[in-house]
Amino acid sequence: MVMTLYHGEPTGPSLTVLAALFEAGLDADLQAIDLAMGERHAGAIPQTTETDYSVEGEGPVLLVDGEPLCDSVFIGCYLDDVAPGSGLRPADPYQRWEMMAWCRWMIERLAPGVAALANRAWTTPRLGVLDDAAFAAITDRIAAQDLRERWQETRDGTLSDEHRAASEARVHEATKKVEDRLADRDWIMGDFSLADLESYAWIAPMRELLPDAFAGKPRLAAWLTRVAARPSVRRALMQARTKHPAHGFAPGPEINRWG
Amino acid sequence: MSDDLTLYHWEPNANSGKPMLTLVEKGVPFNSHYIDLLAFDQHKPDYLAINPMGTIPAMVHGGRLMNESTAIMEYVEEAFPGPALMPADARDRWRVRWWMKFFDQWLGPSLSMLGWNVGIGPKVRERDPEELKAAIDRIPLPERRTAWRKAIYGLFSEEELAESTRRILIGIDLVEKTLGERAWLACDSYSLADINAFNSAYFLPISQSEHCNDEKTPHIMRWLRAIYARPAVKTTWAMGRTAMSDRIKIFEGEEVKPW
Repeated sequence: MVMTLYHGEPTGPSLTVLAALFEAGLDADLQAIDLAMGERHAGAIPQTTETDYSVEGEGPVLLVDGEPLCDSVFIGCYLDDVAPGSGLRPADPYQRWEMMAWCRWMIERLAPGVAALANRAWTTPRLGVLDDAAFAAITDRIAAQDLRERWQETRDGTLSDEHRAASEARVHEATKKVEDRLADRDWIMGDFSLADLESYAWIAPMRELLPDAFAGKPRLAAWLTRVAARPSVRRALMQARTKHPAHGFAPGPEINRWG
Repeated sequence: MSDDLTLYHWEPNANSGKPMLTLVEKGVPFNSHYIDLLAFDQHKPDYLAINPMGTIPAMVHGGRLMNESTAIMEYVEEAFPGPALMPADARDRWRVRWWMKFFDQWLGPSLSMLGWNVGIGPKVRERDPEELKAAIDRIPLPERRTAWRKAIYGLFSEEELAESTRRILIGIDLVEKTLGERAWLACDSYSLADINAFNSAYFLPISQSEHCNDEKTPHIMRWLRAIYARPAVKTTWAMGRTAMSDRIKIFEGEEVKPW
């Protein structure tokens, strides 16, 4: 099995997958790419139905024997499948259900909100300085029209007040969810798991943009410190190539079309 | 076993059908508790006492509640003996999860939007307006309240409906292409991905008959018929109580009404 991980800066889904790889103790060739410059759609990364229509949007790609795998939670499950005992997933079926339902909430409810806020703050300025031809060179390679539209919205900086308010509400909901969950435990599932990585990767970058969502939540604060102290997460953060790795977002998942 | 396993479900269709067919395929006996979605039984106090989220399907096993249909499917696969519905290969398993997410989060919302717009919505609006308003007010999750209000009153914009149609046509193309490359949706064996997808795709030859038929999508038709031929499908669809469950007879060559 030959693996290459094409990852962005260690934040969001790239952070989850880098840390999950290190937790599993597996070897992969690490290739840093600039997601916000559309590098997931270029170079040596094969473009398949699954990468074209990844619900996660611009995330890392794990190339395994020539097949590109995407969507961070499912890459985490894959790594756990090939490295049993990695601790990424609990062994008990009910706890696994609980973990998958938890992660589903994070990817469907929280991630679109974080992506909208992070991209507006940090990606819009990067795309704004590109001329039309340079921007078109990125989006011309993107197969899914709805993903191309999210790139255009990011470049234009069009985040409506309503969309911003809904996104901020999601972050508040997520930080409260973690605070409540940790009333009787150190980690989301009791023992450390992929749920901690996925939750941390989307929540942590919001400290800078929405400090109010973190105020008065001591268990959340202690958990953020605990996750950041894990050797796998520290090693993931060492892969950073920029001064502010938390800012390394690119157009992500869309907000649920049913609201 | 059946004493402590109860599935709360509506018709064998979309989310309800996923755990129903999974349980029947595994040969797991369970108590079937029919919840009438169109009478809003899922938001009434009796049901909220069981599932406070007010969503269907939900499953109770050994006194523990589970919701989120796709996460329930994986639980059923892992917690009970019976024929394997997840492939052994880790990459195949990743693909099963990817396709379930594609149906759940990318294609599913478009299919349900058109279904509500032309089928279920008009039916529900025949009810007493006061009763409808009260039914919406009882919905516990705010995001579900928003979605139901849209669905019940048909508050979809032309743009939203056009986007849903666009996605369904792309979805048909992607599934056709994929099934031209392998026997089943995610890998070379029948899996949870096929069960998940069949529960919405069985309707495509009816709702999108111009685009999904023997001439234009022979691989999809071959795949739908192969699933329909499974005894578990007959058993599952016999649990339906409305004319919706007769739609499946299109695979017998019968003419069926969409709604």
